[in-house]
Amino acid sequence: MVSPFCWGCLTRLRPTPRTLLPSPSSVSRGPAFHTSAVFHAGLRPGSGRGATAVSKFRQPSNASMKKRKKPVEKSRPPPVGERKAIRKRIVLSNPNALEVEGLQELSEETMVDSRLHGTALALPVPMLDQLRAVQAFKPNQGWSIFRRPCTILRQETLQLGRFFDKVSGDGEHKGPFVKKKIISGPSKSGKSVLLLQAMAMGFIKKWVVFTIPEAQELVSATSSYAPLSEEQPHLYVQNEATAALLSRTVVANKAVLSKLRVSQDHPALSAVTPGMTLEGLANLGVQDPASAWTVFQALWGELTATAAAPGLEKNFTPRPPILVTVDGLGHWMTESKYRDAEFKLVHSHDLVLVRHFLRLLKPGGDQPALPNGGALLYATSTTMNPPSVYAFDLILKRAAARAAGFKFNDPRFPRAEAYSNIDPRVLEALTSQKSKHAQEKKLGHQVLGGVTHDEARGFMEYFARSGLLQETISDEWVSEKWTLAGGGVIGELERIGRRLRVAA
Amino acid sequence: MPPLLNLFAARTAASTVRISAAPRRSVLAGASKSHSALSQRRWNSSGSDGKKEAEEAQRAATSMPHVSEEAAEVSRIMEKEKRCDGVPATPELEQGTMVSEILSRDKEAAKHAPKVFQDQIRKAQSGSRSFSTSARRGQLEEQKPSGGVPAGSKADDAAHAAFVQSMITQVTEDAAAAKQELAPGLKFPAPETLPRTENYRSRYEPLLEQFTKLIMRDGKLGIAEKNMYAVLDHLRTSPPPNINPRRPLLTDLPAPQLPLNPVKYLTIIVDSVAPLIKNKPMKGLVGGGASVPVPVPLVERQRRRAAIKWIIDASDKRRDTKFAQRLANELVAVAEGRGGVWDKRDLVYKVGIQGRALLGQKPKTRVIRM
Repeated sequence: MVSPFCWGCLTRLRPTPRTLLPSPSSVSRGPAFHTSAVFHAGLRPGSGRGATAVSKFRQPSNASMKKRKKPVEKSRPPPVGERKAIRKRIVLSNPNALEVEGLQELSEETMVDSRLHGTALALPVPMLDQLRAVQAFKPNQGWSIFRRPCTILRQETLQLGRFFDKVSGDGEHKGPFVKKKIISGPSKSGKSVLLLQAMAMGFIKKWVVFTIPEAQELVSATSSYAPLSEEQPHLYVQNEATAALLSRTVVANKAVLSKLRVSQDHPALSAVTPGMTLEGLANLGVQDPASAWTVFQALWGELTATAAAPGLEKNFTPRPPILVTVDGLGHWMTESKYRDAEFKLVHSHDLVLVRHFLRLLKPGGDQPALPNGGALLYATSTTMNPPSVYAFDLILKRAAARAAGFKFNDPRFPRAEAYSNIDPRVLEALTSQKSKHAQEKKLGHQVLGGVTHDEARGFMEYFARSGLLQETISDEWVSEKWTLAGGGVIGELERIGRRLRVAA
Repeated sequence: MPPLLNLFAARTAASTVRISAAPRRSVLAGASKSHSALSQRRWNSSGSDGKKEAEEAQRAATSMPHVSEEAAEVSRIMEKEKRCDGVPATPELEQGTMVSEILSRDKEAAKHAPKVFQDQIRKAQSGSRSFSTSARRGQLEEQKPSGGVPAGSKADDAAHAAFVQSMITQVTEDAAAAKQELAPGLKFPAPETLPRTENYRSRYEPLLEQFTKLIMRDGKLGIAEKNMYAVLDHLRTSPPPNINPRRPLLTDLPAPQLPLNPVKYLTIIVDSVAPLIKNKPMKGLVGGGASVPVPVPLVERQRRRAAIKWIIDASDKRRDTKFAQRLANELVAVAEGRGGVWDKRDLVYKVGIQGRALLGQKPKTRVIRM
């Protein structure tokens, strides 16, 4: 091969492109006799400082920074269940708050006294254990800042009190009336507290109180379940949850249940003896959760009996009215989180406990739901993120329309939208039909809104007299706060009441 | 002599009129003289010879009489000048009585007393002070030439007082009228001045906001507020603190009232442990390149910040499950005088006291000569 340039004169020697050559200032000046770029010398492997800059051919290189070890967490996590206990803890007293002078207690007289409308009434101290047993208090309610638990006697409470008086009283209008009601309303409007007031009235009037404090817990697949029987494999029984319900009922209604005796035949339960009290009967289910559902059915049969079975007449005494409260009804209107054998979601209405309480609500049955009278108060809830169920919303709208006087044939009566994929089971479970029993009314619907100005004033005065609110309570001030609280939403009023302002 | 203010004219006059048995130079007399001179120096606003006189007085105070002289003086007091019954002489006998006392006893003498005395007595009887506590009037007086006594000041006072009185009555009458009658065009009475917290930009108390933002981590203010709420609820419901008398809280409120206003309670706790100073290490004050802590005063917000930081650090060492619980327990501990936060403040003060000798010194910088 011939060299491209003439060795004699070097005329065709092409200069190195400028871009490859280092600029004269950046290159350390070495001996001037090199014709190659000086800085390449520094990059040659094994020649000191610049050696690491060149990546080796086919050698693994780690460009990332060396990772530091994470500091080891020295503190131990808290014991199992402690955090949940803190979260669920219910405190009912604050010894620092002032004792309110002239505070009246909820009693048979005060719960129907319209002169006390808008004032705070204390819950009787012996009843607090009963209310705790039925889990009437919720952790997010503000009981913990007051000296003792009190509730405001609002218009809805007075109506409820009059109904309790009518059922249990001994006037001429006495009778086994039944009230069936769904209570709904915006967030923090006092739905759960209204249920609590109903429970307190039930205890005062010596009713038997059954409660489902969190409807969601029955459908969220957090307790055990099993098919009901070989014959009905699509129905599911929740033994633990039923035992818990029996336990709540026994503890709270001990005084009533211990005076009533078994007056029906229970062939399914061999442990039942003829002279047994209903408290003993219910305790069977608490002790043996496997039989809890059978025991619950037996107990319900006993409490709704109007006459004794033949041969057991001497054990029969008239049964008291029953109050059933359910909080968070919306969770029962869709599929539960349980799975069947084909791994399909089980509908909530296939759980026997849910089915039982929903069947009570449906009017128009052959048997009256509560032959001895009582109330079924089922509230919706907004705090536990309820599912949005179109059929349930439609039912509530229809109930409101019916209350406003619209007939089913009226064009303004709410109807299901086309292609809305409505759940027929929900629609069927709650569709109101004409009741066959005179003392049982149609399924009612109550929307709980804000309190009135007077009630708001009573509430705020209760705050001030407890020493928690250091303001002058005037009509203008109350009116201002009533507006700020979304038109008297009582939970928002409470927030305003405990809001802190340091006087200068 | 420097020009005298009217306040001191009376006092110095009284000391000069004091009847003395013999003008002797004694230890006590020397001391009293230097004292009056010092006080004069402090009160005079200006004067070319004031400084000189003060120096002189200082020298007189510092140069003590000779030991033998002092001994002679003491023996004279104790032994020689005894009364006939042998009791040592009292200062009253030796130095005489205050003229004002004599004048108060003797009405006849009071009539012939100097005018300064008469004025003084009259003022004392009228019940008003001879000097003003009003800042505005003080400023006005400063503007006047500080020469002699302002003539006719009493008449001015009376006129001024009457004017102020009329102003006050006018304002109160106006307020009462405004309360009864609304201004034209108003349907309701105008609102009173709103508290600071009613504005949505400053809806929380300054301390509450500062505390909340200091417990914030990763910019999550909502979580910090939730924790703050839990802390306030704990303060509201926990039993009132047993206050340690050695470490009292800076409040007049009795302890059982504190939980009823948890924001105030929190403010009091933080303000009670807040340090007044911080110690800033300064180089060049002592030799050898060593840095020494020098106390630096803090403003209120800085003081609170230091205290809150200490409290949060101390709460991290607790073993409760939740942060809010740890913080709340630590706050109650601080309120009861327990915990390391108080010790930290004591340490800061101790170091500050050691370093305060260096206050005001400038660091010595070495001059490099080229």
